[in-house]
Amino acid sequence: MSRYAVNSLLYRLKKDQDFRARFEADARAALVGFDLTDAERAAFVARDMRKINELGGYLHLVMSVPGLAAH
Amino acid sequence: MGKIVFAGAMSHVLDPDYYQRACGDDGRQKVTACMAEIARMGERFTATRPDALIVVADDHLNAFSFNAVPALCVRIGRTVPRMKQDHAEAFDAVLDHMPDEYPLHEDLANQILEKGLDAGFDLAMSWEAPVDHAFLSPVNTMHGTRPIPPLVPIWVNSFVAPQPTPRRCFDFGRHIARVVAAGPWKVGIIATGGLSHFPELSLPRVGETDTVFDRKLIHWMEAGEHEPLRNLGVDELHKTGEHEFLNWMVLLGAVTPARAQVRYFGELPRINLAAVEWSLP
Repeated sequence: MSRYAVNSLLYRLKKDQDFRARFEADARAALVGFDLTDAERAAFVARDMRKINELGGYLHLVMSVPGLAAH
Repeated sequence: MGKIVFAGAMSHVLDPDYYQRACGDDGRQKVTACMAEIARMGERFTATRPDALIVVADDHLNAFSFNAVPALCVRIGRTVPRMKQDHAEAFDAVLDHMPDEYPLHEDLANQILEKGLDAGFDLAMSWEAPVDHAFLSPVNTMHGTRPIPPLVPIWVNSFVAPQPTPRRCFDFGRHIARVVAAGPWKVGIIATGGLSHFPELSLPRVGETDTVFDRKLIHWMEAGEHEPLRNLGVDELHKTGEHEFLNWMVLLGAVTPARAQVRYFGELPRINLAAVEWSLP
């Protein structure tokens, strides 16, 4: 289920500082093993919060992941 | 015999710097005015010498992740911590300077849970969930440096579809009122969030509000006309950005048929700020 995959990833990016650092260093590598569609994976790699929101990412998460938040 | 001695509802990002960044000088001026009214509401609440304060608010995907999303959840235990977020941004940064821990009113929380079972409310409970700005921004603004009475935090799932209906939230509020009436305590209740903002939870629509819909809600609350409010649909709340009005619906059920008095209403591009207090018998 994409809604679960996208939002659990956003939640982890927000709450897990080490994971966020790995993502910031190499997003594609950090996402290996996550059950994302190609479009979802591309949106995360591009840090495109608007697209992630369109794909089901909850607004309050896309507005509050440190360093990646849309405002 | 117990009594609800205070009821109020208010916006819950109460931070001049946040609104300066989001809306410029107008944002700072309006939230400062709104906070002043909420502080005065807090003084009136403290003057009732309350035993507990029920806070009905929503989670912003902070307390609950996607392991479980409770429709209605009561916080139990002795104390509750504020949410901690490293490198907090936006509404999370509002919490940074607030006290770390708050007392809870465990007896009242347990009664809401236990009596709920016979009243048709199988509520979720949490011993661990922290509280975010939705709870603590209003509570701290109301109290300033005065002691905060024991809290009963209650979460309503305002954002993760499918949400509870406005009617269900109202009926839950009536349950709270019956529990308070049967107990020995003087209790305040606040509902937080709103009014309209973030329609459809869509990032491109951040910056839109629905003032016409806000004024309709306010009219019904001022008139004590609660039936049209009970008949609102979750879809309607989603489209207009009134998701957090579900919290207000719980409060309305707790105080019905009391009438609301608007202490503050201010339009901003990002959100319409509000502070409302009910005249209780």
